[in-house]
Amino acid sequence: MSYSTFNQTASNPLLEPMFFGNSVNVARYDQQKHVIFEKLIEKQLSFFWRPEEIDVSRDRVDFNSLTDSEKHIFISNLKYQTLLDSVQGRSPNIALLPIVSIPELETWIETWSFSETIHSRSYTHILRNLFTDPSEVFEDIVINTEIQKRATDISRYYDDLIFYTQLWQTHGEGTVEVLGEQHTVSLRDLKKKLFLCINSVNALEAVRFYVSFACTFAFAERDLMEGNSKIIRLIARDENLHLSSTQQIINLWQYGKDDPEMREIAEELREDAYQIFMSAVEQEKQWAHYLFKHGSMIGLNEEILCQYVEYIANMRMQAIGFDAPFKQRSNPLPWMNKYLVSDNVQVAPQEAEISSYLVGQIDNEVSAADLGGFEL
Amino acid sequence: MTTTFKVIVNGQHQLAVDPSQGTLLEAIEAAGIESHYHCRNGFCGACRTQLIEGQVNYINEPLAFIRPGDCLPCCCVPASNLKIEHR
Repeated sequence: MSYSTFNQTASNPLLEPMFFGNSVNVARYDQQKHVIFEKLIEKQLSFFWRPEEIDVSRDRVDFNSLTDSEKHIFISNLKYQTLLDSVQGRSPNIALLPIVSIPELETWIETWSFSETIHSRSYTHILRNLFTDPSEVFEDIVINTEIQKRATDISRYYDDLIFYTQLWQTHGEGTVEVLGEQHTVSLRDLKKKLFLCINSVNALEAVRFYVSFACTFAFAERDLMEGNSKIIRLIARDENLHLSSTQQIINLWQYGKDDPEMREIAEELREDAYQIFMSAVEQEKQWAHYLFKHGSMIGLNEEILCQYVEYIANMRMQAIGFDAPFKQRSNPLPWMNKYLVSDNVQVAPQEAEISSYLVGQIDNEVSAADLGGFEL
Repeated sequence: MTTTFKVIVNGQHQLAVDPSQGTLLEAIEAAGIESHYHCRNGFCGACRTQLIEGQVNYINEPLAFIRPGDCLPCCCVPASNLKIEHR
């Protein structure tokens, strides 16, 4: 049970569960137990981009013309997004890599987390362009109480899983005393913590980003802060892919296509998973309230943003087997979609770098139908 | 030779869809029905639709999990007459 960087037990990765089996030894991708993770890796690699490719220099002029309440909205969102990606740039690695058991999922986790670090780097790119010294903005992320509230909720499931995994990997199952406190460790409990953690991450990727995205794209709808919006589009495209992976993991468990014990746990903790999602939705609504406390912006207010959160939440909850909990069935912000279409990323090459070009995208499948138009 | 399939959306709209003319999502949009989507590429799952009756073919391989009884209209075409709920 103690972690080994190269597990010398000869195990068959095709028979291992996603987590808590034998730790991965050979990083091989010629065969996969769950081929979906290999496909997600390929897709994420084809999406590779760098923030420096996007010209944000015009945003500084736009930013200075914003009203104070709009500046508050813009900067607060960047702070929140910085928090989210700071967590996501490290936590999947620290929490999940020590317990993962199949190579394709291990590499997906690394690829996923790496892409989150690109997001973090792009917030620095955006802020460095807006302020001569962005330190004040970064420093506020740790002391701002609104952000703190969210940080607590986002990191607690990760932290709990990490702490108990460490106890399990050093002491094994049983009761262990750490700094005067008794902790009971069992594999079943660890699996429960993993289930809750994945549900919390799923909720994060599913709804937590969308209030901020909506604000960014609402500025872009008014031709403001367009460099920023181009970057956020790329981030949104990546986040959609990450969401797809957490939905896959949850569904594989629910349908008994992986560890049978995880299927039992998914049923047992269904209500907890539901509550995790609902509280993320509630916090996003409170965030909308905080953003607009000094005044709204054109095209967006607290009410419509909360409706949008409910609309998105319905969609996301159905994807993991819950009934849609909210009445909001039509999209209150239809213009959002055009920023979320993955192929739409940029179409005016004379304005800036083309970001829709997919680096390393591979498609070498040719079917007979592809040649249907040829005649000799 | 083109085949057209009958697609009933939300129990109230009847569409004639030619699978060679684009995706099921495009057919829903062309009929003026409110559509739900994000990526249009099969990986986000935002267009998830209940497939009540019939079969679909995927023209691009979806990366989002498709739960039994669902389909992703952004990357599929009808393979038979369909009844779907796209709300």
